[in-house]
Amino acid sequence: MAAAANAPIKYAGRDYLVEVAIATTLYVGAAASRHWLIAQAPNPALKLAAAIIPALPIWGLFWVVYRYYRRIDEFEKQKFLETLALSFGIGSSLVCTWAFLSDAGISVLGITWAWPTLAVTWALTGGIMHFLRR
Amino acid sequence: MPAMNNILPELRAKLSMTQGDLAEALNVSRQTVNALEKGRYDPSLPLAFAIAKLFKCRIEDIFDPR
Repeated sequence: MAAAANAPIKYAGRDYLVEVAIATTLYVGAAASRHWLIAQAPNPALKLAAAIIPALPIWGLFWVVYRYYRRIDEFEKQKFLETLALSFGIGSSLVCTWAFLSDAGISVLGITWAWPTLAVTWALTGGIMHFLRR
Repeated sequence: MPAMNNILPELRAKLSMTQGDLAEALNVSRQTVNALEKGRYDPSLPLAFAIAKLFKCRIEDIFDPR
C-alpha cells in the first residue's frame, strides 16, 4: 500500500483508466455469461461459484478505485471525493426513485444494473464537475 | 474557499521550470500546480513546506493571505 502511495503521480491516471477498462470488460463478460455458466455447472457448489463470478470484477473495481485514490495528490483527492459524494447521492436517489416507480408498474431493474447505473452516474458527474471547475 | 495569493509562477519562471517540471518535483499533478498558481487551491502544510524547501524560501515568502 505504501508503494502505491509513493509511486509517481503522473502515471496514476493512465494506470487507473487501464485497470478500470480491464475490470469493466471482465464484469460485462461475466455478467453476460453467468446464466450459461450456471446452467453448465454440474453440482450446486459449482453453480454457486458460477453465480458469484460477476461479483469478482466488482471487488476488483473497488480495489482499483481505492488504489487510484491512494496514489493521487491532495488536490486530486479533494476533487475525487467531491465527485464521488455527489455521484453517490445522485445515483442512490435515482435507484430509489426507480424502485418507487416500480410500485406503479415500471419494470424492476435487476441487481446487475446497480453497479453500471452508479458507474454511469459517476462518469457523468465527473465530466460535469470537470467542466464546471475549468 | 482558497484565500491565498502566491508568487509561484514568478519563482517557477526564475528557475525556468514548466508547470510539468514543478509537478514532477513535488510529485503532484500538473493540474494541481495550475490550481495552486491560479489561487483555486491552497496547499496543505506538508505541500507548502515542500514548495518552500524546493524554492529555498519560507512559506510566508511564497503565500500571502489576501
